[in-house]
Amino acid sequence: MSVRTYWNDYDWQLIHAGPQPPALHMALDAVITDEVGAGLRPPTLRIWEWSEPAVIIGRFQSLKNEVDPEGARRHGVTVVRRVSGGGAMFVEPGNTITYSLSVPQALVQGLSFQQSYEFLDGWVIRALHDLGIKAWYQPLNDIASESGKIGGAAQARRAGAVLHHVTMSYDIDAEKMVQVLRIGREKLSDKGTTSAKKRVDPLRSQTGLARDTIIERMLQTFQSLAPLAPAQLGEATLEQARRQAQEKFSSPEWTALVP
Amino acid sequence: MHGEYKVPGGKLVVVDLEVESGKLADVRLSGDFFLEPPEALDLINRALCGLPADAGEAQLAAAVQAALPREAELFGFSPQAVAVTVKRALA
Repeated sequence: MSVRTYWNDYDWQLIHAGPQPPALHMALDAVITDEVGAGLRPPTLRIWEWSEPAVIIGRFQSLKNEVDPEGARRHGVTVVRRVSGGGAMFVEPGNTITYSLSVPQALVQGLSFQQSYEFLDGWVIRALHDLGIKAWYQPLNDIASESGKIGGAAQARRAGAVLHHVTMSYDIDAEKMVQVLRIGREKLSDKGTTSAKKRVDPLRSQTGLARDTIIERMLQTFQSLAPLAPAQLGEATLEQARRQAQEKFSSPEWTALVP
Repeated sequence: MHGEYKVPGGKLVVVDLEVESGKLADVRLSGDFFLEPPEALDLINRALCGLPADAGEAQLAAAVQAALPREAELFGFSPQAVAVTVKRALA
């Protein structure tokens, strides 16, 4: 596998289902990406809808360093661990725009990790420009604008495929966020700010647009790049994801894998 | 013991560890970095356990490097960054 492919070498699938629980989202990323890697499904763009507030910690993050269990309980926040590295995020339904690209390894063949982040974020940067936001890819894994961070990406490499998922802030309850996440000073030491609250500037305040409208515009931008057809997940895929959600991604062993 | 190090332009590296009879024990690396394959995390932890608590940064970094499979990819941190974090935990 030495030839690099292009966006429009594929007929992409768009998956955008109704609200789903956090553990199922974790499992869907794994199952869909593995199906792409095995050649069982085309490259897939999945837009997430959340059924409940959640903290999603990175694969290598320490649960107790990142999450305030008392704050999480008080606000009814479910804590899950994802398969990709990167940092913790706090989401509430309707508050973020989260999406996953599950792509064949060939699409990023020969690119460094950093180049592949920039490459796979490229269409979203363009969509944000079309919405009037001067956004750019900020290494290593941020989407940034003049007024602050908009979102972050994370990748996991899985047998023949790459999972690249991104959460962008649409609206944010920054006060609640700092009660649920522990964000230490060391982490912010090279960010030019000591306040996690001031780091994020959400899309709502930057565009004045409804969340659905922004997603619609993003999809239009994607469709200018490659064919993208709405689809439903098959029952076998859903069943496998439900099983992984229950057996792995809801289990205390996985969530506390790095205690 | 606990140490944190934000790699300039990179990610946060965290190390929790104990010292038993002058040697590193129960080393737990964590952070918001990226590591492939993910199982390499345990290999790094194991490679650091048993090293002398007064090991220098170069020795610690070499032990991390030697523990990594050839195809391993570190994004946002490095063996040297892990070594710096271990030294901070011990400080």
